[in-house]
This record gives sequence, structure tokens and C-alpha cells, in this order.
Amino acid sequence: MSGSPSYCVMLFKSVSYVLKAEKILKKENLPHKLIPVPKKISSDCGVCLRFEPNMREKIEAALFKKVEIEEICKLCEQ
Amino acid sequence: MSEIRIVNATGLVCPQPVVLAKKAIEKNEQVKVIVDNETALENVRRLGTKMGCTVETQAKAGGLFEILLTRQGGTPVPSENVTVACKTAPAAAGPFVIVCAEDKMGRGNDELGSVLIRAFMHTIAGQAEKPDVMIFYNTGVKLALQGSETLDDIKELSAAGVEILVCGTCLNYFEVKDKLGVGVVSNMYDIAQTMSRASRLLTP
Repeated sequence: MSGSPSYCVMLFKSVSYVLKAEKILKKENLPHKLIPVPKKISSDCGVCLRFEPNMREKIEAALFKKVEIEEICKLCEQ
Repeated sequence: MSEIRIVNATGLVCPQPVVLAKKAIEKNEQVKVIVDNETALENVRRLGTKMGCTVETQAKAGGLFEILLTRQGGTPVPSENVTVACKTAPAAAGPFVIVCAEDKMGRGNDELGSVLIRAFMHTIAGQAEKPDVMIFYNTGVKLALQGSETLDDIKELSAAGVEILVCGTCLNYFEVKDKLGVGVVSNMYDIAQTMSRASRLLTP
């Protein structure tokens, strides 16, 4: 996971959406990680999915019309 | 009001900041002490209170703290019997230990608990203040198994020097000893002893 200069996080409306999305990504074998929502995005106690920027299209396609995505942010590794 | 006397106590270890602060406040109405660690901050604050000063602290950039000690309304400084107390950080006494007694965080809802423990491990692995030891027992051992969602984070912690102790009895009970992905198979002697010595014991 480390070593990459940037990554994407995908935010959802609720934790259950995150879990639903995760189930799909696991089935599709798309690498991702469930992490707490980075502080710079929100101080809420939320979780989101993190993945490499080059996985973005595949992941979005996998979730299309299955799980509603709230936002995707590209972040730099601290 | 006389001018503020500045005492720069950065780079000094206890009891030096307290000694300098005490000397300064004995001679001046107002003293600003600059320190660079929380132990010194707490000790200087305690001194100020004991000496009957008003104490104002401010966190500054670069991990510095400024403590402004002001003698209240010209009250005389209490006599020499104020000792220079120097409490060191408890971290010096024993290890910082995180105990994972379950493969979940909190009770009530298991699905949520699994999400929380993953977020917890990710955060601990990423933060600067890492534990010295992490202990896994009961269903907590599942966190350290191959294929576990938290394995990478625990491996990262292990690589950063965190000692990972995994309960052998528990691995045996769940019949997963061959699936252990990180850490040392440990026993109750080491686990109980480490927990007893801990200066801080944290359970997610």
C-alpha cells in the first residue's frame, strides 16, 4: 500500500453502502482497503474505500448502478 | 508591571525546565517558559500552580509549548519549601500495549465491529505513536491470520518494530496455527507479564 504518491478514496452515504460496495469489489477481485475517512476530508467517524488511482475506472464500473457513490477524492500520501 | 522574563527550556530534560522556571519566577512577576515536550509542560504547570501563579499555556508550532506564569496580584512567592517535582512520562516505566481480545471493536453489532477494528488497525499502523507490544488472544488471533483484512496493517506494525504476541492456546483452539500470518506464537506467561508491566494498556 505504501510507496505510492497518491491514492483515491471513495465516500458513501452510509456504512452499509461501504460494506455493500466492498462485497462487490471482493467478488470482482479489485484491490481496495477499508479505511477511516481521512481527517482532511471529514472529521466524522466514517469509513471509506481506498484504492490506487489506476483502479478507479474498474472500481467505478463494478459499482455502477449497484451502489450509489457519494464522492471520489484523490489524495496524496502523507 | 515589569516585563516578561523569557526562559527557553527547549532541548532540556526534566528537572531542568522546572528548576529554571522556579528560579525565574522567584525573581520576576511574569515568566514565559518555552518547552518542547509534554512532560516538561506538565511539570512546569504544576510548579506554577504550587507557587501560586496563574498559568496560561499555549501550543506553538514545531511541538513547542509556551507557559506563561504570572504571580497573582503581587503575592509573595511561597517560601523555599516548594519542591521541584519532576514526574517523568509513564512511558518510561513500562511498554505501551494494545490488547486485541476480539476480532471486532466494541460490542453490540458484529458487522459494525469488524469494520471498526479494520479502521482502528489502519489508523494505529499509520500514526506516529505506535505501541511497543500488541497482544492478540481469543478471537483476536483471527486478526493476525493469513487472509485477514487486518494482516497488512499488523505486518506493517511488526516491520516498524512493534512486538506482536499471538496466543498459542487460542490458535490451537481455533485450529489455525498453520495460518498465522504475522507475529510470535506466545503463551500466557509472556502475555500476562507484558500486560502487568504495561504503562498503558489499550483495548479497542
